[in-house]
Amino acid sequence: MITNNKGATGPAVAFRDVVKVYHPDIKALDHVTFDIQPGETVALLGPNGAGKSTAIDTMLGLRAPTSGEVRILGGPAAAAVAAGQIGGMLQTGGLPEGARVSELIGLFRQLYRDRRSTTELLTLAGIADLADRRVEQLSGGQTQRVRFALALAGNPELLFLDEPTAALDVEARRHFWRSVETTARQGTTVLFATHYLEEADANATRIIVVNHGRVIADGTPAQIKAFTATRTLRFSTAAPDPSELLKLPGVTDVVVNGDAVTVRTGDADGTLPALYALGRQIKAMEVGGGGLEEALIALTSADNDPVTEGVA
Amino acid sequence: MAAFLRFEIVRSLRNVRFVVFIAGFPVLLYLIYAKQTGTSQGLTVAAILMVSMAVWSGMGSAMFATGPQLARERQNGWMRQLRVSPISAPRWFTAKLAQGLLLIIPGFVLLILLGFGYGHVHLAAGRVATLAAVILLGVIPFCALGLVIGLMFDGQTAQVAQMLTLLVLAFLGGIFIPYSNLPHVMQDIANVLPSYHLVQLGWNAVAGRALGMTHVLALAGWTVALGLIAVWRWRQESTTA
Repeated sequence: MITNNKGATGPAVAFRDVVKVYHPDIKALDHVTFDIQPGETVALLGPNGAGKSTAIDTMLGLRAPTSGEVRILGGPAAAAVAAGQIGGMLQTGGLPEGARVSELIGLFRQLYRDRRSTTELLTLAGIADLADRRVEQLSGGQTQRVRFALALAGNPELLFLDEPTAALDVEARRHFWRSVETTARQGTTVLFATHYLEEADANATRIIVVNHGRVIADGTPAQIKAFTATRTLRFSTAAPDPSELLKLPGVTDVVVNGDAVTVRTGDADGTLPALYALGRQIKAMEVGGGGLEEALIALTSADNDPVTEGVA
Repeated sequence: MAAFLRFEIVRSLRNVRFVVFIAGFPVLLYLIYAKQTGTSQGLTVAAILMVSMAVWSGMGSAMFATGPQLARERQNGWMRQLRVSPISAPRWFTAKLAQGLLLIIPGFVLLILLGFGYGHVHLAAGRVATLAAVILLGVIPFCALGLVIGLMFDGQTAQVAQMLTLLVLAFLGGIFIPYSNLPHVMQDIANVLPSYHLVQLGWNAVAGRALGMTHVLALAGWTVALGLIAVWRWRQESTTA
């Protein structure tokens, strides 16, 4: 058992049956429930508009849930924020004009009571060469790295990163994730939002997939990736017979529309030879899938309840 | 909070537009107009103008401490970043108020020096101290006004809203045009404006007259009203946004 700061055991984040309604027709969060245990590095994975930012804003106390319970480090979000236990890097975030990078970092170090040294922050965020720059002179990627330094200033117990690498180039991205790993190893619980499956897979110990405000899968990267083995085959053939196609190895789903056929398979390498072996004339074959989009389709089209692989 | 206050003051002083506004503009006007001869209610033009310009500079710097900058920083996400840091709302408010009050000092000192050196104003130290106290406390409602503008408008419109508000307050409040020269309708408007009450307090302080309870109460009323609007907007934004 990992003990949190209050000396009590319990989840770092408890998100219970949370609903957030912006507009009567739009449920940004639709009965979302999950716990995050101290020490985990969790990815909140989903397409744009899935509810990731709303979930993070709610955990940071920036938005009040319409219903449901949100507890951060055993208490309300505002208490954890006031105690300096939380670091947050929001999706959009400008910096205050007229300030130098070193001044901003100095300010945040003081707000968080000197929990991390300036040198350490500059190194972790990879901005040692920007310390004397004025905020107005920074590029988008540089701004994002400075904001990362600010989020780390309090050596937080819980670090929230909302699409943190959007403006970063490849090299900066690598440095960024290395630093996240360093802080995680030092004991920080990390929750980040992303719409890249690869990013979640490479950097998280657990992935929570959200879409349309619901949790549609929750498991280890290996469990989540298993869904992405799904491929979609699109082709046309004369007078297709769905029952014949359903018997092919790996096929889970067949949709026929005139001559156009869409076949979903968990084993494309097995399905394709068998399909050609039927002796039909197959035209315009397209193989798609493997991405988040396909994983989401695979996950949401599963008729059963949302797949929640328990992470004990 | 001290760290935040210092941070905010340093970056305000780097803002050229702000510095010109709180110091350059009133100084220039003073240099142009202070040499006119004449007296009114026992005060020379140079003394009257010293007070008007100090009030104008004080109003402006108090409003600029928040105002358009707050509107921009609400829009670009900086305020959200601050909200997830340990600085509390009351401390943020206090620091912003202190920033507005501290930043009126340079303009005030400059105008007193000009008044004495260039305008040949002769004032006892006690009256200068009363004037300083009047302006320092009297600009508090303008700090609140800047907050309201910063919380009500977006980044682009806040700038315009602030300039218009300031100019209206200055003209109708009798800072640029003597109150007695205003048409009756405008005098009626002036009677409710905080700028009118502040500049009257300033002139009373310099002339050694009783300050006038009406003026003090009017400014207190404005502070409470604008403060409540600011707190209401702040809460509204932090809970439903």
